[in-house]
This record gives sequence, structure tokens and C-alpha cells, in this order.
Amino acid sequence: MSPIASDEKATDSMTSDNRFPSPFDIEAPEGAQGWEQLYNWYHLFGEDRREQDEQRFWFQDRLHHPEVLHPYDEIQCECWWQALGAFNTRVFAMPPAFGVDQRVLNGYLYVTPVPAPPEDLAARAELFGRRAGYYYENWDSIYAEWKTKVLACLDRITKISFEPLPDIEPESVVFERTGQSSGYRMIRDFSDLVQTMYETYQYHFELLNVGYAAYLTFFQFVRERFPDISDQTISRMVGGLRVDLYRPDDELKRLAREAEQLGIGDVLLEGTDPASVFAALDATDEGRQWRTDWDKTKDPWFLINTDPGHPGASHVHPTWIDEPAIPLATVKEYVRRLRAGEQIDRDTAGVLAERDRISGEYRELLDPADRTAFDQIVELARTVFAYIEEHVLYIEHWMWATFWAKSKDLSRALTAMGALDDPEDMFFLRRTEVAETLYDVVAAWSVGGTPRGANYWRPIVEQRRGIYEKLRAQPPVLAMGPPPAEINEPFTVMLWGITTASVSEWLAQRRTTDQGEKVTVLRGVAGSPGVAEGPARVVRTVGELLTVQAGDILVCPATSPSWSTVFGQVAATVSDVGGIMSHTAIVCREYGLPAVVGAGNAVATIRDGQRIRVDGDTGVVTILD
Amino acid sequence: MSERHIIDLLPGTDGNVAELGGKGAGLAGMIRRELPVPPAFVVSTTAFRTAVGAPAGRVDDRLDGLDADDPAFAGHCARARAEVYEASAAATGVLDEIAAAYDRLDPAGGGVAVRSSSAAEDSGNASFAGEHDSYLWVGGRDAVVERVRACWAGLYTERAVRYRRRTGVRGDAMAVVVQRMVDARAAGVLMTLNPVSGDRSVIVVESVFGLGEPLVSAEVTPDRFVLDKVTGEIRRRETVEQSRRLTGSAGRGTRWEPVPEPGAPSLSDAELGRLRELGRELERGAGHPVDVEFAVEGDRIHLLQVRPETVWSRTGPAPQPAAPAAAGAVHLVLATLTAR
Repeated sequence: MSPIASDEKATDSMTSDNRFPSPFDIEAPEGAQGWEQLYNWYHLFGEDRREQDEQRFWFQDRLHHPEVLHPYDEIQCECWWQALGAFNTRVFAMPPAFGVDQRVLNGYLYVTPVPAPPEDLAARAELFGRRAGYYYENWDSIYAEWKTKVLACLDRITKISFEPLPDIEPESVVFERTGQSSGYRMIRDFSDLVQTMYETYQYHFELLNVGYAAYLTFFQFVRERFPDISDQTISRMVGGLRVDLYRPDDELKRLAREAEQLGIGDVLLEGTDPASVFAALDATDEGRQWRTDWDKTKDPWFLINTDPGHPGASHVHPTWIDEPAIPLATVKEYVRRLRAGEQIDRDTAGVLAERDRISGEYRELLDPADRTAFDQIVELARTVFAYIEEHVLYIEHWMWATFWAKSKDLSRALTAMGALDDPEDMFFLRRTEVAETLYDVVAAWSVGGTPRGANYWRPIVEQRRGIYEKLRAQPPVLAMGPPPAEINEPFTVMLWGITTASVSEWLAQRRTTDQGEKVTVLRGVAGSPGVAEGPARVVRTVGELLTVQAGDILVCPATSPSWSTVFGQVAATVSDVGGIMSHTAIVCREYGLPAVVGAGNAVATIRDGQRIRVDGDTGVVTILD
Repeated sequence: MSERHIIDLLPGTDGNVAELGGKGAGLAGMIRRELPVPPAFVVSTTAFRTAVGAPAGRVDDRLDGLDADDPAFAGHCARARAEVYEASAAATGVLDEIAAAYDRLDPAGGGVAVRSSSAAEDSGNASFAGEHDSYLWVGGRDAVVERVRACWAGLYTERAVRYRRRTGVRGDAMAVVVQRMVDARAAGVLMTLNPVSGDRSVIVVESVFGLGEPLVSAEVTPDRFVLDKVTGEIRRRETVEQSRRLTGSAGRGTRWEPVPEPGAPSLSDAELGRLRELGRELERGAGHPVDVEFAVEGDRIHLLQVRPETVWSRTGPAPQPAAPAAAGAVHLVLATLTAR
């Protein structure tokens, strides 16, 4: 196409080229009509608020919720919708930003950051200075208290158990004079389970965005003074701390080493599936000794969710406890590396020394007048960074793994009591509908009757399953509405990695596909340096990792810490979401693999087996076939 | 000491810009720190004054009184240049010293570069970059002597005279560097800051195949690399397909020839790593950002010139909003969050 022709094209469709479709123009996939009933009414677009919502820029929250939501799992979104908003808007008075608003469309979660009114900036800045300042000054003791509060939440939900209700109450109800029926307690416990998650999210955002603000400030401070510095170098001045998030992986290394000491490494190396490995281990004293250690390590260190991207985002993905094949494969890989004479321990001292060298030398390059400020902000960034990393273990892994496990206990109990046909049915009910179902079951149990639940829900669940499948079959539009001319809202950039550049790239891709042309180049963030070519292996869930072969290029929505075995095999990685500090980028740098993160639409665009080139220096992915 | 005409550049050599000229003093400084510089001697400004001091003084006085906007100005400069060049033929004592020094430097006749090195150049305020002449692949004592005389007279090319007027330099004196010629596989320049942004945390390298002169004179688009000064990471790598390179041989000057591997980067990662180390060391030694010319011969990197970086060093880096006076990280956070 000549440049003149393409200019004409651009002028022609200028208006629609510069904005994404309106949420009110997006139709439900064929057969998914009526999908709205799966979600809470306040989570939906509606004609009554069209005027407001059509003027906002919405993007699909693929960082946290890349998949179609199950109705029950909507609670995950609601937890952070409320808590992030309240702590930004009302508690810390974050000067430029209110909360992040949410809508569900065609089963996918869309979000839009709400800016604070510019005229409030000064007043909010003063409040934020006092309030956030108090947290920064007392961070370590506040964080110590924080752990106590969150572990108390964990303890509370761990103790909840959902069993089918007994025919006759145990004697304790009478002789210990508890005065409460199991039916009442079942209703109460479900309510506690949900409320405790809400409580946990208060703590989640008690520290997260105040912490991010400090971390972001450090980035900006350095970047303003060294415009050419890479994000990777800035993050190396902060990271490298020995934080609890690495502990699960360290436990697997320890188990690998112990297996070698006990002389049972061969059993792990030769094993194909967990059942046969455990059977072989149980045949010897050493094997049984190792099994005991393994079982002891499970709680809490295998309470690890395997969702691609945001751990614990849905009930669908298994934990390491559910799928022992995942941690076993990692241990096996460590045994192999130990035998190859490789060092498997993280070189924490080396990383710390390098961190201090880099920040020291950059400090020397600063104008002397800026050095005190640098010292203050790097120290604060390091202080908050431990929380930014560690909260993921406590909340996204431990709390959510436990919440989903308890929810599954409840769904099994309800099924056993005839309120549902199948445990999975419960996840097609909204949280409030589950509470209703519980009341139905408990009332029926109490009077000695039959619950109405299964008959009532059967046609509804069947219809919802059909809708859910249709929704899943259609990938979401990336964004809706008019994008701002410039994206500088700090949390959009920092958390979602969405920038002015990435939005114009999405618009460009839209133009390409609108013109019926194939997208052959995807641009994202240069996550880890180097260039590699190979066949693409598109992986959406942890189960699909087994199809990955040496030399493949992993193309995924995002990676998870529990995917670590795959990085020993792949030649490069491409992820749809994530910035420079995403798990994918960090791990690939550790493994020396090229990575492009935040590539937008790679999973939907790249076909399994296609040859692609990944340029981790420039952030470009090229489809070669 | 001020009577020296020929100064061999050795690790023990002293001397300053007034005597060695900007380029010569830069090379002497690098050699004192035992950095890799090809063997060289300097024909000092004293030699210049001995040889052509009187006619140069007359010419300076005459040009000072002329209007540069006068159409005849170019002709006056050409005459001044010819006058100084011719007068230098009489300085047989100095010319013999130059010939003898050349014989010591290049007994096998492998070829040398003859480069102007004026006392006013690279002073930190005015670089004189490209204002004076350099001659490459010069071979034989007569040719070398003739090129030194041409460098002396080169003080009076019209552009050099105009440049001095613009920068307010009066009464310059010309030293000349005579240096073993590097048979460059690749060559280029490095700057210990980003000349566009003023960012001092990077080293920017530009390089071409063959000699570096076409890069300096912008005849060839160079490869460009941005290196992180602290981590060594290659931040940006912009390689271009170069089809020709400038090369040469003793006594026959330079010539163009095709690049054997067009499309390949002109520098390897290992060479870039070595250049980063050299750049950092030069900057540390100078105490300010520098720009450096280098050439790669076999597996060796030779440094051919170092001079103060003139643009940012004078203006300072891009002004940053001063850190809030009230100490405390929270003020920095606030400043970031409220920045528009």
C-alpha cells in the first residue's frame, strides 16, 4: 500500500480509529443471551448509567481476571473493588486517584480507574501526606501487626468446616449447652467465610497502594534523572530481599536435597505420576521418611494457587496440594540439576551485593544535591517492597486457596444433602443465591423435609452452564470507550502495565484486523533481554504445561510461580499481561530467557506451533509463519 | 622544557594543552594512565612558533582588522594560509627534527596519521571538532614533514578563522600529533553520556566498519549502541546495514571498499564491554563526561582521542524539579503523585 493510500484510509475513519467500541455496542455471543443473570446487577452496564459509562475508558482486567467469571467467583472482584476504592479514596486520600471501578460484560471483568477531581488535589495531598507519612514512618511495626491480623483471618477460615448436617445433633450441643444447631452454624459459617475474605481485603489495601506509591516514586525519581535507565535496572536497586514469597520454592529445593541424601532421588527421577512415585516411596524406610517430610511441608507451603497471572483469582485452578504432580515435577527438576552439578540455591548474597553496587554507583552519578533524597526514597522503596511481594503469599495464595477449598467443601455438603446435583453447580450460583440455597437446605433439614434446591436450580444451572461455555468461546475485547490522550494515572501504569503506548498498539491491532489483515507483529514490554526463535506453545492452564517441549516458546496469559519447571525447557516467553516487575519478567531474567510481557493479545493471536521470534531487547514478537 | 620541539608520548611524558595542543594533551593524559594509545609524538606549539611564529603573528594582526562579511574575506584567508605554509619551508632545523622523529616512530614505513592539535581546541568551551585538518595513511619522511606544514597553515582555513571569531579565541597555536596508523577493522566514537538527554548513566557508542573518519564527517550512518554505565547491559542496539568502509595504506592515503559482511554489527558485545570500561575510566580520570574516538585492530581497542564533552558539560544535565526541601520520603511521594 502506498503511503498516500494509507493516509487517506487514516483520515477516512479517524473517529472510530481513535476509540474502542462502546460497551453498549458489544453484543452477546450467539447463544449467550441472558448472560446478565449470572452476575450481580450492580456489576453490569445499564441504560440508566449509560451517559456516564459510555464516556469512560474500560479495559479488560487480564491481570487479575483473564477468564470468564463463574457467578460464585464474582466475590473475588468485589473484594478488591470495595477495598482498593475505600483505601485510595477515603482512607489515605491518594491525591490523583480514587478507586478502580468495575463492570462485567459478556462474563469478563472490565475496569476503569476513577481520577480524583483536580480541584481536590491540594486538600487530598495534605491528608495523604499526614496519613501515608504515618504509615511510612511506622511501616515495620504496622506490617508486623498486619501479619497477625491476616494470619488470624486465615486461622478463622481454616477452622470452618462444612459437612452434611447430622441426623441427630451430637451430645455436645446438649451437655456443653452450646444452644446452637449445626444448621444455624452452617449458615453462620458461610457468612463468616465471605465476611472474613472481605476483612482480609481491607488489610490487603491497608498497605498495598501506599506501598506502591512509594515504589512508584522511586521509579519516577530515578527515571527523571536518568531518562535512559531501564526498568530492570531500577528494580534491581530495590529487589533481592529474602522474602517469604520464595519460601515455597526453597522448600522444594530442600526436599530435593534431602531426597538425594536419603538416596531416593532415582525414585523421583524415574516416577511418572504422583501415585506411582508415592507408592514406590512407601516401599522403603527412607522413602517413608521423605514422605513424612513432604506431608509436613504441605501446610502451609503447598497452599499455592496455579492460576496464570493472579493467583487465587478463581476456584478453577488447582493448588499444589490438589495437584502434587506440580511440586513433584519441580523437585524432580532440582534433583536433576543437583546431579548435573548445578547450583540450585538463589544467590541471595550476590543479588544483594549487586543491588548495593548498582544503587551506589547510580547515586554517585546523581547531582550531589539529590543524593539525600535518593537515600530516603530508595530506603522507603525497599521497605515497602517486601510487603508488595509477600502479601501475595499470605492473601492471594494462602487465603484464597483456603477460601476456595472451604467453598468446595460446602458445595460437596450441599450436594450430599440433595440441594444440588453436582458440587460444581454451586459455582454457577451467585454468592447471594448460595446463601439462599443454604437457608433452603437448613430449613428442610430442620423440619425433616426435602430441600427444594436441586429441582429449583437444575434448569437454571443448566442454562447458565450453556451460557458460560458460549462466553468462554469468545475472547474479550481488550478495551472499550475513549482512551485518555495520555495514560499517566500511576496505578494503571504500575499495576496493569497499561501505557499510552500499549493502548495505541491495541488501536493499531484493531485497525489491522478491521481491514481484514493478519496481525504479524505484537508489541509489549521488553521483560528480559535476548532474542529467540521457535515454535509457539500456547498455554492457558497449568495442565497444558505438560505439552511444552524443549525449545518451545511459551505463549501464555501470564505465568505463575507454580509454573517454574517450564522455564528450564522453553527458549523464550511471551505473556499477554504484566510489566517489568511481573512474575514472567523476573523469572525469565533469572533464567536468562528472552521475554516480552504485556504483549496484549498474544494468546488469541498466535496459533500453537507457529514459528515466532521474541525480541526481549525491544519488546517485539514477530509471527514468522 | 618550554623549548621542546618534539615530544615523544610516553608514560612519563608531561606537558599541557598550551604545549601539546588539545588532542596531544588528551593523548598524553591517556598514555600516562597506561591506556591503549598507538605510539605517537607531538610537534609542539613551541616548534610551531619557532618555525612560523613571526609570519603567523603578522597574519593574525592583519585578519583581525578585516570584516568577515566582506566578500573578499575568503581570499584574505587563503592568502594567509599560503603565506604561513610557504614561510614554514625555511624552518629547516625544526623540519629536520620532525623527519628524524618520524624515522624513530615508523622505521618500517607502515604509515602514520598526522593530526592537527591546536592549543585552543577541546578547551571545554569550544571543541574545534572537525575545524582542523587530519591526514591519514601518510608514509615517508618528506610526506610527513609536508603534512605537518599543512597542519600549521591549516590554522588559517576560512572556516577555522571564522570558528575562532565566533568562539572568541585569539592567537591560537598549532601543535601536530604524528601517530602510528591503526589499520582499523572498525572504529567510532563513544560518549560517556547520552548527548540527547544528558543522561550520565549511559555510554553511547557509534561505530562503522573501517576508519572512523566517515562517521565523524557523517558520510556513513553508524551502528549505535547505548550501554548502561553501571550494569553493562546493552540498552539499545541499532545496527544499520553498512555497504562500504574507508580503508587505506601507507603513502597512498585512504580509499573506499565494500564491507565484507554487510549487515553484521560493527562491534561485538565483548568489544562494547571493553569500551564501557575504557569510557568509565576516562571519565573518572577527567572528572567530567568525555567523548572518545577509538579504533579496533585485531582484538585490540586503540584510543585515538579524548576530549571533554562540550554541550552538557557546559549546560549541566536537564534541570530536575529539586527534591522537596522538607526532608522525608513522603514529600517525594507526594511530589510524584501530584505531578501533572
